[in-house]
Amino acid sequence: MRGLLIAPVVIPLATAVLLLVLRPSRRVEHALSALGCVALLGAALMLLVRVAGGGVAAMQLGDWAAPFGVSFVADRLGAAMVTVTAVIGLAVSVFAMAEIDDRRRRFGFAGFVQILLGGVCGAFLTGDVFNLYVWYEVMLIASFALLTLGGERIQIDGAVKYVALNMISTLLFLSGCGLLYGLTGTLNMADLHAKLPAVANQGLVTAVAVVFAIGFGIKAALFPLFFWLPASYHTPPVAVSALFAGLLTKVGVYSLIRFFTLIFTGDAAFTGALLAAAAAFTMVTGVLGAAAQNEMRRILGFHIVSQIGYMVMGLAIATPLALAGAVFYTLHHIVVKANLFLVSGVVRRLSGSGDLARTGGLYAQAPLLAALFLVPAFSLAGFPPLSGFWAKLFLVKAALEAQAPWIVAVLIGVGLLTVYSMTKIWAEVFWKAPPEPRAALPPLRGGERALLFGPIVGLAAITVAIGLWPAPLFDYADAAARELADPRDYVAAVLGSRP
Amino acid sequence: MAADHAGAASSPGARALTAIGIAIALGFAGALASLVPAVAGGAAPSVAVPWLPALGVALAFRVDGLSLLFALLISGIGALVLLYAHRYLRGHPHAARLQLFLTLFMLSMLGLVLADDAVVLFVFWELTTVTSYLLIGFDSESAKSRRAALQAMLVTGSGGLALLVGLLILGGVTGTLRISEWIAAGSVAGQVAYTAVFALVVLAAFTKSAQFPFHFWLPGAMAAPTPVSAYLHSATMVKAGVYLLMRMHPVLGGTELWFWTLTVAGSATALWASIVALRQTDLKLALAYSTVTALGFLVLFVGAEIGIAITAAVTFLIVHAFYKSALFLVVGIVDHATGTREAQRLGGLARTMPTTAAAAGLAALSMAGFPPLLGFIGKELKYEAALAIVSQPLVLATLLVVANALTFAVAAVVAFRPFWRGEPETPRMPHEAPRRMRAGPLLLAAAGFAFGVYPELVGRYLVEPAVAAIRATPMEVDLKLWHGVNVPLAMSVATALLGLAIYAAHERVRAVLARAVSALPLTGERAFDASLDALRSFAAFQTRILQGGSLRRYLFATWLVLPAAVGSVLVLRGGLAWPASPSPVPVYAWPIVLLVAAGSIAPIVTTSRLASIAALGLVGAGVSLLYLLFGAPDVAMTQLLVETLTVVIVAVVLLRLPRFSGRDHPGSAGRARDAALAIAAGTTVSALLLAVLASPLDPSLSDWFAANALPAGFGRNVVNVVIVDFRALDTLGEITVVTVAACAAYALLKLRPGASSEQEGA
Amino acid sequence: MEVLLAILIGVMFGASVYLMLSRNWVRYLFGFIVISNAVNLLLFAVGRVELGRPALVPPGLAAPDGPVANSLPQALILTAIVIGFGLLAFALVLASRAWAELGTVDVDAMRVAEPREDAAREGRDA
Repeated sequence: MRGLLIAPVVIPLATAVLLLVLRPSRRVEHALSALGCVALLGAALMLLVRVAGGGVAAMQLGDWAAPFGVSFVADRLGAAMVTVTAVIGLAVSVFAMAEIDDRRRRFGFAGFVQILLGGVCGAFLTGDVFNLYVWYEVMLIASFALLTLGGERIQIDGAVKYVALNMISTLLFLSGCGLLYGLTGTLNMADLHAKLPAVANQGLVTAVAVVFAIGFGIKAALFPLFFWLPASYHTPPVAVSALFAGLLTKVGVYSLIRFFTLIFTGDAAFTGALLAAAAAFTMVTGVLGAAAQNEMRRILGFHIVSQIGYMVMGLAIATPLALAGAVFYTLHHIVVKANLFLVSGVVRRLSGSGDLARTGGLYAQAPLLAALFLVPAFSLAGFPPLSGFWAKLFLVKAALEAQAPWIVAVLIGVGLLTVYSMTKIWAEVFWKAPPEPRAALPPLRGGERALLFGPIVGLAAITVAIGLWPAPLFDYADAAARELADPRDYVAAVLGSRP
Repeated sequence: MAADHAGAASSPGARALTAIGIAIALGFAGALASLVPAVAGGAAPSVAVPWLPALGVALAFRVDGLSLLFALLISGIGALVLLYAHRYLRGHPHAARLQLFLTLFMLSMLGLVLADDAVVLFVFWELTTVTSYLLIGFDSESAKSRRAALQAMLVTGSGGLALLVGLLILGGVTGTLRISEWIAAGSVAGQVAYTAVFALVVLAAFTKSAQFPFHFWLPGAMAAPTPVSAYLHSATMVKAGVYLLMRMHPVLGGTELWFWTLTVAGSATALWASIVALRQTDLKLALAYSTVTALGFLVLFVGAEIGIAITAAVTFLIVHAFYKSALFLVVGIVDHATGTREAQRLGGLARTMPTTAAAAGLAALSMAGFPPLLGFIGKELKYEAALAIVSQPLVLATLLVVANALTFAVAAVVAFRPFWRGEPETPRMPHEAPRRMRAGPLLLAAAGFAFGVYPELVGRYLVEPAVAAIRATPMEVDLKLWHGVNVPLAMSVATALLGLAIYAAHERVRAVLARAVSALPLTGERAFDASLDALRSFAAFQTRILQGGSLRRYLFATWLVLPAAVGSVLVLRGGLAWPASPSPVPVYAWPIVLLVAAGSIAPIVTTSRLASIAALGLVGAGVSLLYLLFGAPDVAMTQLLVETLTVVIVAVVLLRLPRFSGRDHPGSAGRARDAALAIAAGTTVSALLLAVLASPLDPSLSDWFAANALPAGFGRNVVNVVIVDFRALDTLGEITVVTVAACAAYALLKLRPGASSEQEGA
Repeated sequence: MEVLLAILIGVMFGASVYLMLSRNWVRYLFGFIVISNAVNLLLFAVGRVELGRPALVPPGLAAPDGPVANSLPQALILTAIVIGFGLLAFALVLASRAWAELGTVDVDAMRVAEPREDAAREGRDA
C-alpha cells in the first residue's frame, strides 16, 4: 500500500529518466512513453479502488513519523485527481505521437511530459505544504520546458508572459509556507489542521490564507490573476495546450479546495465570500473574454478561466452538495477541456489554422470530427445528457439551497454565454463554408488518424458515460465532499490516533 | 436547397435511417394507441428507474391523457414527415443526417411529453433545443440559416435555463422531483416561491412557444428545410411551451397572476401575429406567423380555469397540428415542384397538381374554420370559451373574431389562391408531387375532415382524458358539429364575412401593413440583434482593458492584489501585531543589512549593467553573511555558490543583450504608480512577517530534528540530515527541477525553428 | 533583530516589485533575484533567528548541547535557493532567446501571441 501511494510519482519520474537518458528511437520512445502512461493509469486505478473501498490512505516517506517527515495522503479527492491525470496523460501522449514533430521529440518532449505528470501527481498526493511547493516547481519547470520546446517566436512570447506571472505564484506560495511555519511550527497539513485554530491572532491566519489564495489563484487562473493563461496557452503545440488545459489550473483548484477545507477553516464566512466574489468575476470575465476571441485555442483558453470560476464557486458555497458539485465539476472539466483542445488540434491539422476566419466546411468534410466536437462542446455548455449538465445542475441546486439567487443568476447567465461561444466555434469551424479554396493539405493517413482520433473518442466516451450514468461519479464526489468537510479521517490517517 | 434532385438516388444511409425512424415512430404510435382505452378510462401507466437517487432524480415516464395526446401527435406526424423528408431531400449529400436529427428530435419530444420527473423533463427540453438547432442550421453553408439557428438556440436556451431554475425551486419547495406528485399535491400558489417559479416557468414556455415578444425566432427558423418546419415549427416543438403550461396547470394555475399573464400575452400574440401573417408574401413565412397566432390562442385558453377553455385549447391543439403540418408540407411540395414560394407568382396549380390541391383545400378549410371540418368545431369552442372566461367578453370576443378573420384570409392566400386562382409564373414547370410527399398532407387534411364529421371519437378518447389530466379532475367533453344557433355561430359567420372581405382586399391591406410594420421602432428581433451587438462590443472592450497584451499591466494587476487583499484583511480582521520582545540587533548586523538594502535598490536607479550585476552580487553576499551570522553555514555556502553562478550567467546573457534604456517605467505617472504599488507590497509583507514573529513558535519539529539527527539519521549536521533523510523527497524534487531546467535551457538554445539538422545536439 | 529583518525584507520586496514592473525583461529578472533572496530571508526569519550556533552535533554527543539554530527553515531555504536558481537560469536563457527571436527584451513590445490589432479586430466580430 505504501508503494501504491508513491507510485504515481515514481512511475512517471522513472519513465522520464529512462526517456531522457536512453534517447531512444522514435518507435521505442513511443512505446516507452505509452507504457509509462499505462503503468501510471494502472497504479492510479489501484489507488482509487483502495481509497474508495478503504477510506483515506496515508504513508510517511522514509518512515519518519508525521509531522516530522513528509506525508503522502490519498483521500477520495486526491485519488480521483490522480486517476484523471493518468487518463489525460495517456490521451495526450497518444495524440502527441502523431502531432509532435521529430525535432521536438528528440529534445525530450516525452520526458518532459512524464515529469509534468509526476509533479502533478505529487501535488495531488502530498500532505506537506512545503513538499507541495516542491511539486509545484517540478510542474512549473516542466511546463516551461514544454511551452518553449521548439523555440518558435510565438512560443517565446507566450513563455515570457507565462514565466513572469507564474513565478509570482511561486514566490507567494513560498512566502505563505514560511508564514504558516512561523505561526505553527509545522508544515504537515494534518498537523496544521490541528494547530492553526490554536493561534491567537486569527486575523493574521486569515491574511495568510489570502496569501495562499493569491498564490493558488494565479495558478488556478482566478480573476484578476489569470492573464498569463490567455497569453500563452495557444502558443505551444496542441498536445501541450491540451495537457496544460486539463491539468495545470486544476492543481490550483485542488490546492484551494484542500487548503480551505483542511487548513484554513477558521474564518469560513469571510473566505467564502471572498472566494465567491472572485469566482463570480472569474466566470463572467472569462466567458466575455472568450466571446471576443476569433481563434479557437484562444477562445478555449478563456473558457478555462470561466469554468474555473464554477469550481471555485462550489468551494465558496461550501455546503456538502456544493463541494460535491465542485469535485464533480473539476473531474468532468478536465476530461472535456483536454478533449476540446485535442479537437482543435485536428481542426488545425485539417484547416491549416485555428483562426475562425480561415476555418470552415468541416461539417461536410469531417462528420466524425464534428460529432466529436459536439460532445465536449455541449458538455461544457451544460447540455444534457452530458457530464457538464449534471455538474452545472449540482452547483445551481446548491446555490438555490444556500439561498443565494445572485449566484444562481451568474451560473445561469454565464452558462448561456458559454452556449453562445460554443455555437460560435461550431458555426465558424464546421458549418460555415471554407473561406477560399484551401491549399490542399495532406490528408490524414490511417495510423495518424488512429493516434489523433483515438484519444478524442476515448475522452468523449467518458463524457457521455458520465452524462448517462451520473450516479457512480456523483456518489463518489459526494463521499469525497464529506471527507473534505469533516477532515477527521484524513487527520487520523496521517497522524495516527492523535485527534 | 429545395431543388429537385431528380436524377440522384437516395443514399443507403438515408434509406436506412428513414426506415429506422419511421419504424420507431410507428412503434411508439402503435404502443400509445393501444393505451388509449386504458387512459380514457382513467389509468395512467408509468415507469420509473432510479437515475441519480442521491438527489431523487429518476427516469420516470407517465402516460396520462395529456401526454398520450401529444405523444400520438408527435409520433404520428413524425412518421409522415420522415417519409416526406426522405423524398424531399433525395440526393442531398446530408440527407441521412436530416433523418437522424429528425428522429432524435422526435425521441426528444416524446421524452419531453412523457416525462414525469422534473430533471428528465428538462433534459428532454434541452435536447429538443439542441436537435432543433442542428435542424434549423441544416443548410449550414447559408449564413441566414446559421443565424436563425443561433437565434432559436439562444432564445429557447435562455428559456430552458429559466425552466431549470424554476423546476429546481419547485422541487425544493415540494420536496420531490416527481411531476405527478406535484399535481397530486395541488397548487403551490400559497408558497413564497410561487412568483419566482411562475415567472421562470412562464418565461420558458413563452420562449419555446414563441409568444410576443419572444416570437421572432420562429419566422427566422423558416430557413430550415420545409419538412423540419412542418414538424418542429407547427406540430411539435413550439407546442412544448404550451405543453408545459398545460402540465403545470394544476400546480401553478388558478391564480390571478396566471390568468392575466397568459390571457394578455396570448391574445396580444394572436392578434399581432395574425396581422403580420397577412403581410407576408413568402408562403412559409405566412404559415410561420399564423403558427404564432395559433400558439397565442392556445396560451390564451390555457390561462383560464374553466373546463370549456381547456377543452377549447386541447381541441384547437389537435386541429392546428393537422392543418398546419399539412399546409407546411403542401408549401414544401409547391416549392419543390415549382421552385418558388412567393404568393404572387403562384396560381392555378390545381390543374397540374390536383391531389396536392385537394389536400391544401381541406387543410385551408380547417384553418378557416369551415364546417364540417374539425377546424370549425375548434373555432366554435374557442368562441364559446372566450365568452365564458371573462365577465365582460366584448374585447376578447372582438379580438378573437378579428384574429380568426385574418387567419381566414391567410388560409385563402396560402392554400386557395395558389391553386385555384391566376396563372403560375414559376421558374419550373409545376407537376404533381411524388406519392411519398403527397401521403402526409393528404392524410393530415383528411383527418381534419374525418374527425370533423365524426368528432365523438376524438372527443371521448383524446380530448376528454387530456382535459382531465390538465385540470386534474375528470370532465365530460362533448364534441359536436352543430350546437344550435347561438352566439358562437354568429361569431363564426361574422368571422367568415370579415375574412372574405380582408381576402378580397388583401393586396392593399398588405401594402398598408408593410409601411406600418417597418415604422415600428423596436421589435423583438431588433432587440435581440442589439443585445448581441452590445454583448460583443462589451466583450471586446473588456478584453482590451483586461487582456490588452501588456505584460506590465498583467504584473501590476497581479501584484496589486497582494497589498489590496492581504492588507485590507490585516487591517479589517485585526491581524496586525508587533513582536513583544524582539531579540537585540548585533552591531555588525547593521552594515550588512544596509548593504543588502542598498544592493536591492541600486538596480532601480542605475542603468549601468555592470553596476546592476555588482549590486545583485552585493545582495547575495550580504544575505549570505546574514545566514552565516545566525547559524546557517550550509545555507551561506550554497548561497554564495549559487550567487556566483547567477552572476556569471547574468553577465553572459547581458553581454548579448542591448544596453538598458532607462525608460523602463513609462512616464513619471507610471513611475509613481509602480513605486506606490512597490511600497505597498513591501509594507504588506513586512507587516505580515512582523505579525507572525509576534506570536510564539512551536519548536517541536526543530527539537526533534536536532535530537534525532545522529541517533536516527546517522549524521552530525542536522540540516544535512533533514535535507537528505528526513525530508528527502523535497530534495528529489529539487534535483528534478534543476535537471529539467538544464534540459529545457539546452533545448531552448539548440532547438531553433527551421534550424538545420546539424545544429541539433546528440 | 526580527524587526530589522522584517523591514529589510519589506524593502527588498518593494524594490523587487518595482523592478519586476519594468519593461525590460532582464530587469524583471533582477527583481526576481532580489525577491528570491527576500523570500529566503523570510523563511529564515520565521525560524526565529538568534545569534545562533550552527545546528551541528558536537563529537562525542548524541545531540546538540544547548540551543542551536533552527534547522528546518535552513533546509527549506536550501531547497528554495536551488529551485529558484533553476527557474532563474531558464528565464535568463529565455531572455537571450527572446532577443534573438523577437528582437527585443521589452515585454510590452512582445506582441506575437497577443497581437495589437486584435484589439481593433475584436470589436468587429464575425
